[in-house]
Amino acid sequence: MFFHTWPFALFFLVVYPTYLALKNTKFRLPFLLAASYFFYGWLNPLYVVLIAYSTILDYMVVTRMAKSRRKKSWLTVSIANNLGLLGFFKYGAFVTDNLNFLLSSLHVPYAIPAPGILLPAGLSFYIFQSLSYSIDYYRGNIERETSLIRYAAFVAFFPRLLAGPIERAKNLLPQLHETPAVSRQDVTDGLSLFIVGLFKKVALADYLALYVNKIYAAPEQFQSPALVLATFLFAWQVYFDFSGYTDMARGIARMMGFRLMLNFNNPYLATSLGDFWARWHISLSSWFKDYVYIPLGGNRKGTLNTYRNMFLTMVISGLWHGAAWTFVLWGAVHAVGRFLTRELERSEFYKDKVPKLVKQLFVFVIVSFAWIFFRAESIGDAWVIVSRIFSSGLANPYCPVLALALIAAVWLYEFAYESPARWILQLAPVRTGAVILMILYLAVFAPSSNQAFIYLQF
Amino acid sequence: MSAIVESANGRDVQPPDKYEVPFGSNSIRLSGWEWVIAAIVCLALFFALPKLWTRTEKFEPEPDYRLPYQLSSDYWLYNRYCCWAGPRYDTFVVGDSVVWGHYVPQDHTLSHYLNQNAGRNQFANMGIDGIHPAAMTGLLKYYGRAISGKNVILHLNPLWMSSPKHDLQTDKEFRFNHPTLVPQFIPKIPCYKDPYSRRIFIAAERYAAFFSWTSHLKILYFEGMDLPAWTLEHPCENPLRAISLEPPASTDDSLNERASWTQRGMAQQDFAWVELETSLQWRFFRQAVELLRDRGNTVFVLVGPFNEHIFKQESRNSYQTMKEGIEAWFRQNRIAYYMPEALPSQLYHDASHPSAEGYAMLAKQLFENPPFQSAILKQH
Repeated sequence: MFFHTWPFALFFLVVYPTYLALKNTKFRLPFLLAASYFFYGWLNPLYVVLIAYSTILDYMVVTRMAKSRRKKSWLTVSIANNLGLLGFFKYGAFVTDNLNFLLSSLHVPYAIPAPGILLPAGLSFYIFQSLSYSIDYYRGNIERETSLIRYAAFVAFFPRLLAGPIERAKNLLPQLHETPAVSRQDVTDGLSLFIVGLFKKVALADYLALYVNKIYAAPEQFQSPALVLATFLFAWQVYFDFSGYTDMARGIARMMGFRLMLNFNNPYLATSLGDFWARWHISLSSWFKDYVYIPLGGNRKGTLNTYRNMFLTMVISGLWHGAAWTFVLWGAVHAVGRFLTRELERSEFYKDKVPKLVKQLFVFVIVSFAWIFFRAESIGDAWVIVSRIFSSGLANPYCPVLALALIAAVWLYEFAYESPARWILQLAPVRTGAVILMILYLAVFAPSSNQAFIYLQF
Repeated sequence: MSAIVESANGRDVQPPDKYEVPFGSNSIRLSGWEWVIAAIVCLALFFALPKLWTRTEKFEPEPDYRLPYQLSSDYWLYNRYCCWAGPRYDTFVVGDSVVWGHYVPQDHTLSHYLNQNAGRNQFANMGIDGIHPAAMTGLLKYYGRAISGKNVILHLNPLWMSSPKHDLQTDKEFRFNHPTLVPQFIPKIPCYKDPYSRRIFIAAERYAAFFSWTSHLKILYFEGMDLPAWTLEHPCENPLRAISLEPPASTDDSLNERASWTQRGMAQQDFAWVELETSLQWRFFRQAVELLRDRGNTVFVLVGPFNEHIFKQESRNSYQTMKEGIEAWFRQNRIAYYMPEALPSQLYHDASHPSAEGYAMLAKQLFENPPFQSAILKQH
């Protein structure tokens, strides 16, 4: 069930008032859990079995850990189980494909059968959330959760179940312990977040998808301008798609009295790749920082080790996004971009003399270039796109002017938001007018193609 | 990032509680009153825009008007046509392409010849191409309220019961005409498999003129596409320029070959007629009749005339049995009807569509038919 669909509207129309009616009773958590499982099972009832298994196992592991001296062994069980689930469901086909390629290269007349397993939606998100609970408990950062129902509600909390934000136990579990007070401002804030997210997803991301899909489906048929534009537009598509989803998730949670973390903060205004990752998918980048980068040594052991750790973290992050070499390359390009902008930031000239706008555009170009590998169907396609960008002709890209105008408007809005002119955006008529225009645009002109969320595949 | 925390009026504030997190990365945060204002404005526009549009968009149907073929799915315009025609005509001829006049120009349709016989514009052509009984029931229910209380000649084309597929009985999904007019949930139509999210939207669209109006804009001005898809096809064009505020005339619609079915090389066929008791289309047709009667309409049913010359012998027998069942239901429910004999073979273009001459003959027969005279003509 996706937030921008009618079934979700009906679901929430039933669940929300019921939740408000039950929130001061002992049925609050069981109801929240049941609603979350229903929400997830709507996509495929078998998914519920998997999330229940993962939840129960981590709950039991931490319970055992609390009573055992061999905490590390129990942590290993949790890590092995979670990564095993990810490996089996997400990377099974990838590993098989690569092994078969290796076997055929060695002229071995045998091919491992393809596993043919369906990747459950949102698996990577709730696995990481559950895993962070085990690790945080092991590190002594959080208390053990004694209620299985509460822990299950934490893992399956429906607003963030399919695509995050990846919440930490220390933020969300305490909120599940208390009876959240749902104020009028929570409702209005939640609605504000939701409508902006819906607009980003339906009016912007789905619109851009029409052009991007057309070009990326057959890149060899298009010339440089179309490929460049499709790449830049994909940068915005993926941002609107994912940040729109997150806004909706946060809005729904907010209406129920929960605060989910900020996941995007105008990432295309970043002035370095490091800054970009502090603004893009913040819950994931902070997860990788806390559980991968710092355990690897972080920036504590010299420049070379720092860059090695950065590189490994980015490549693993790439692999988290998808089981394909294109995602590994995407992570590697980001790693190189981080080295580059980090070194540039060390020079006085770049730091002080180069205008902020130039830095922002530079970072946007690097990030957009990296998106080629993220979006392309294969490394071969990515290569075709990159080579044709630099070598093909200059034919008319036939890109809708309206799409470009919408992007320009959003960019202008973001620049204004981070400038002294921000007060203009905060005027009541501007905010209210913007919401009215968004609702009207959605009602009259929204695309009916109903594209799936990009990040759900992860 | 803590600087992002802001109140509804935009001033930065301290987090109000221990779980507070940065609100968002933009300023669009409305207070309760601002939401109330936004909701009132949106609701006002929601109700007012379709009404205002009827004052802005030109719509002046000429005599013998029929909904242009390319606007067959524009049910908002159909409703507007009903509202326009309601006070101007006494009798509305409702049905599929046989009524609409698939092979003939608009001044050679059944309603045209009925008007000719009446000597005045009494009959309005309310036919829509491809509207089978399941869809026709939905069309009348949701978009035909404006003709309540009027005389209605309801056409039953037996073609829709000529096979399980036409009758929508097959389990395998296929795209039939006018899916947005058929019941979305109950009764279940076996071959209709649209996802629930779409069905819910369709169900909502029927009750909110705003949504059918937006469909009207798409069909009429954007080639049936939504705006984003249209701009992809016309990247450098101004979408506002596409809105000409003038629906196309329907006069040039009949572009089909006008030869008879034998001249077109059609052979005699076997038809797998469905059982009347289990027929979905027949069930929906009865619902349409009951709906109209509940609305105070005087209903007269015209059955066929189907091209019986196209039948092989076995089909003929099954068809006869089906006709008897249909007739029995009309009698039992005291519904005025006319079930004419088949027209001469050369007056058909295919299995069900008469030629212009065929329509003229049928109109003449109707005017001589006593139930038609008493049901439709008696008041005049």
